[in-house]
Amino acid sequence: MSTRGARRFVADLLAGRRPRSFRAQDTDIEELRAAITLRASRPGSAAPRAEFVTDLHQRLAAELAAEQTQAPQETPQPPAPFGRGMDGTRRRLVAATSIAAAAAAVGAAVDHTLTSRNPAQNNPGGQQTLIPNTGEWRTVSTSANLTEGGVQSFDLGTVIGFVARTDGTLRAVSGVCTHLGCRLALNAPAQRLDCPCHNTSFALNGTLLRYQLAVPPPALPQLEVRETQGMVQVYTPPGPVA
Amino acid sequence: MHVVSGEFYPDWEAVYRDNVDRVYRLMFAKVGNRADAEDLTAEVFLAALRPLRVSASVAEVRAYLVATARTVLAGYWRQRLGHEVTRLSDDEELESPPADTAVSGEAAGRAAAVLAELPELYRRILVLRFLKSCSVREAAAALGVSVGYAKVLQHRALRRAAQLLEVNE
Repeated sequence: MSTRGARRFVADLLAGRRPRSFRAQDTDIEELRAAITLRASRPGSAAPRAEFVTDLHQRLAAELAAEQTQAPQETPQPPAPFGRGMDGTRRRLVAATSIAAAAAAVGAAVDHTLTSRNPAQNNPGGQQTLIPNTGEWRTVSTSANLTEGGVQSFDLGTVIGFVARTDGTLRAVSGVCTHLGCRLALNAPAQRLDCPCHNTSFALNGTLLRYQLAVPPPALPQLEVRETQGMVQVYTPPGPVA
Repeated sequence: MHVVSGEFYPDWEAVYRDNVDRVYRLMFAKVGNRADAEDLTAEVFLAALRPLRVSASVAEVRAYLVATARTVLAGYWRQRLGHEVTRLSDDEELESPPADTAVSGEAAGRAAAVLAELPELYRRILVLRFLKSCSVREAAAALGVSVGYAKVLQHRALRRAAQLLEVNE
């Protein structure tokens, strides 16, 4: 027997009203689903009202306009703390109306992981350093293998990237393109990282070298890297549970 | 406007024009009422607006809208009933609006299949109430039964349809 809430939900649907909330029981669910399926198949019901389409268009235009007017006040803050810096970036990118697009689900997740924490050493180029909430030093190479001018890729399960020794300094960067999350490939002769998707390339230190997109993607996030007892290690989240 | 997958949208307005109808249909098929379908469609576009970044292909934009719609719908049910009554599956796509009819293809197909399997009286009460939007009184008159019995009939028919739908899933 369905509950009173479920019966009222169906009655609302049939009356063309917005169904009211209630705490549904497990036993209600199948009937509600059936009621929705039947109701949604009603001839002439599935298309949106022209009025709604127009109204929502105006709302979206207003949202965009609001973002654009805020952008100029926020952009001139170079080493901004995470919240504002990221906001500013977002706004500027949205403001460039040449665009519209999207991080695919993967891209969005990566974006969040790589930028949601911000370290003290946020450099003016907008390049961020990935410092996970919970991390550990994990070995990606040995000092002997990574000599001057050397580059090595690593895949630690949670993070992929490249570590390079240039002018005596070790640097590690993410191996995921900041545009839509494709995996970068090392182009050894050119000493750069190429994205297989949209002709985007990054230098070994993560700075953007070339792109074909309407808006330049951000530099690659850096990872903390150290050399200890002949091991080259980066600071990353612990490995995924097998 | 005619856009095919693999192409790129020139601006956000093109994204909106090309997809608002599709997103609305997707939502309507999952909530069955206009007010909520409109609110959810608005929520999808308002949420998708911010992450809109550099150019992505039409297919990527649509995949992103569906992913957003999935999250929005799940939040709606969690808040309304505490249960995910309907969900957008992983392989859900923004299908083209049917050219000659205003019916949501997928929902109509499943509903028709279930109705066809029901006993005559059950099918008729559901068609009268859900598809033709008759009142209980009108439906009772059409079937030649009392109003009280029409209510009982509707309830039983819906429960039977629900069982068939689960089997057909």
